[in-house]
Amino acid sequence: VSQLKLYRDDGLLARFLGRVLGGAAGWPFLQLLLGLLPGVVAIVAKGDDPSDGLVAGCVVWLILLGGISSGRPHTDRWRWALPSTLRAAEYGAVLWMAAATGGSAEPAAFALLGVVAFRQYDLVYRLRYQGTTPPAWVSIVSLGWDGRLVLVLVLFLAGAMTTGLAIAAGALAVVLVGESIHSWTSSLRMDAAEGVYEDEEEDIG
Amino acid sequence: MPSVPSTPTTTAVVLVAAATDDGGPAALLAWERTTILRRLLDQLATLDVVRVHVLTRPAFADAVDAELTAFTAVGVELHASATIADDLATIGELAAGARGTLIIVNGDVVTHREALAGLLADPRVATGILSTGGRTGRPFTFRVRSRRGRVVGANSAFHYCHHSTGSFLGVLKVSPADRAVVASQCAVLASLAAAPPPSWVEEYDFKAIRWRQALARTHVRQSLRLAEEEGAPPPADLPVPGPDGEYTPEQLAAVTLPDERVQELRRRLGAGREDAGALVLVGLVRAGATVGQSYLRELFWARPLSETDVDVATERIADFDEDKVLLETAVKATDGFFTTYFVSPYSRYIARWAANRGLTPNQVTSFSLLLGVLTAAAFATGERWGLIAGAVLLQLAFTFDCVDGQLARYSRQFSKLGAWLDSVFDRTKEYVVFAGLAIGASRTGDSVWLLAGAALTLQTVRHMFDFSYAAAAHQIIASEIPVPLDQAWDSLNQPLPPGETRETLAVEASAPVAAVAPALPASKRFAASLLRSWRRLDRSSSIKWIKRIVAFPIGERFAAISITAALWDAHTSFVVLLVWGTFAMIYGSAGRVLRSVAR
Repeated sequence: VSQLKLYRDDGLLARFLGRVLGGAAGWPFLQLLLGLLPGVVAIVAKGDDPSDGLVAGCVVWLILLGGISSGRPHTDRWRWALPSTLRAAEYGAVLWMAAATGGSAEPAAFALLGVVAFRQYDLVYRLRYQGTTPPAWVSIVSLGWDGRLVLVLVLFLAGAMTTGLAIAAGALAVVLVGESIHSWTSSLRMDAAEGVYEDEEEDIG
Repeated sequence: MPSVPSTPTTTAVVLVAAATDDGGPAALLAWERTTILRRLLDQLATLDVVRVHVLTRPAFADAVDAELTAFTAVGVELHASATIADDLATIGELAAGARGTLIIVNGDVVTHREALAGLLADPRVATGILSTGGRTGRPFTFRVRSRRGRVVGANSAFHYCHHSTGSFLGVLKVSPADRAVVASQCAVLASLAAAPPPSWVEEYDFKAIRWRQALARTHVRQSLRLAEEEGAPPPADLPVPGPDGEYTPEQLAAVTLPDERVQELRRRLGAGREDAGALVLVGLVRAGATVGQSYLRELFWARPLSETDVDVATERIADFDEDKVLLETAVKATDGFFTTYFVSPYSRYIARWAANRGLTPNQVTSFSLLLGVLTAAAFATGERWGLIAGAVLLQLAFTFDCVDGQLARYSRQFSKLGAWLDSVFDRTKEYVVFAGLAIGASRTGDSVWLLAGAALTLQTVRHMFDFSYAAAAHQIIASEIPVPLDQAWDSLNQPLPPGETRETLAVEASAPVAAVAPALPASKRFAASLLRSWRRLDRSSSIKWIKRIVAFPIGERFAAISITAALWDAHTSFVVLLVWGTFAMIYGSAGRVLRSVAR
């Protein structure tokens, strides 16, 4: 998997859509922009007072087109714009649903985005500094951007945003941070066994 | 804690092949009470090198052997090889047989131990070279081209890389994983060096012309300056420069060089032709290996090839205060304006204090995070005193955020975990502070959670743009077709234009290949020329700083939060972060869009 595909953080659904509908033709970045279009128009037109149907339609369309954009290899000249645009789409959609709900759903959404951001940074920094990527089960448990959007949409339609987002944020935080700490302790243990790095404590004496 | 045995398994290959005028090895030139070679070996012995192989010519073998008998710190083996082809074959065998890291270094390099340590002791550079940007003579170096910190092109006596960006300073570190690449490339290089292909011969002759041109130019300019200082008229036999102050190749070819310059040219050509290290570097680069760099920074470096060179080097190296240079260069060169002018001037002294106290960078990083959490708690009160206290705490947190990196660079305590912690804690600090501001605002009845969420989104997206753009750039580098080693030039698809020869292009010192690129479509040309003018603006230091401020780096962001929160409220902070950040994102993306169009 290329780095850019890794940074996309696709879930099972997006990968399925990409494989089935996105493999044949098209420009991935254009597909993603098309996926964003209805949502952007709806936010401009309706602000924080959209109907449930409008929100559902826009989010499903985004997941469909965003998923399709995962199908082709990211080798064209606009490839660098895909992962960040996906982040903007995901976070923007979550914030929109939180705004439409109002009240305590907003801090709950902030908490979820904070935890999801940890995953994005951990993907990048762990690859850069440890040379590894999180195991596959982590990307399944953390659902990918598509899975998280489905989850938040269901919570939104069910009117359970505040509790749902808070629980999701808490659970994800435990899993993601815990797995990250585990990966570092085991990687350091391996380095120590190989004796690649000098022990800093020993040097100080 | 159980003692973890450190296993320094570094092997060094020291090349003693360059000759002085009297035909002796340059590495055995006297240096203070010892020789250049002994000085270098003593330095290597303190840098975890456990085995040294000295490669030299049969004529030098006795003298080098005599010099080595006094050196007992590390096991040394002497190899006498008749030619550079034999050198390469030996390096290949050693690379295949050695354990751990392999270092290939010119035996006549004079530099500070700290410069060597910067490359050898930095675990973040697996395979890499000691290098410097800009132009460094003393007396000559082979040029390299780097992109995104990675060496992607290299010169040797027989190879030419276009658009060079820096110099290879004769010290190459090969990671255990890349030793196999060195072994296989050395086999190819050895057979090519034994019977040089036409392309190599042509490149070497071309270098002879070009180096002579450079010496002639220096000679002419020095003579003019001398005449001017003495108030004498310019010597009549000197050529008259063109309107651009430049001399034509014909004019330079007609200049008679004084004896010492002729000798210098001969020494350079001789040392260049014997430089197996430069060839190994070309081999690695053209095999697509990831070759990093450790910069010389402000330290001293030279390859003296004559007694005069040694005298100059001895005099100059004495002017360097290693500790002062280390501390000054512990500051990252690419920091933002606020960091450079308002934090680094004093944070470096905190870094030195922390180093003397034996603190580790990770301790400082963790302390900085703690301060960040306290900042958030202060902001969360929502009271005026809390906002002011938070503003001060945030600046303290940021100071220690700079200290950890400077401490790591100053005391060379790099670790992978440290780098990860530094990055992740930076982000954590920023977003925890956002939460603190939002909690404080909601206590005073102003819900800014959506603004906080938008600010988090914007910053994450901006970072993701940086990461993805870098990933795409590395993808492009990796996808480039490797140029075979028997070809001198490293650009496959850019042939010489009709009517041009290598010699006429040589005077166009500014990137000869740019002139021969095939015709591009108008949109690409337009984008490329816009980018060039944009980069040209960087020559003005104030414009360079304005550009960096506009990009809204972390120092500016934290300063903006502190000032707006202390003077106004959280709402203002988020509005400023969003407006400035959006502008920075558009500004940054515009440049990347242009580069994508120009590609």
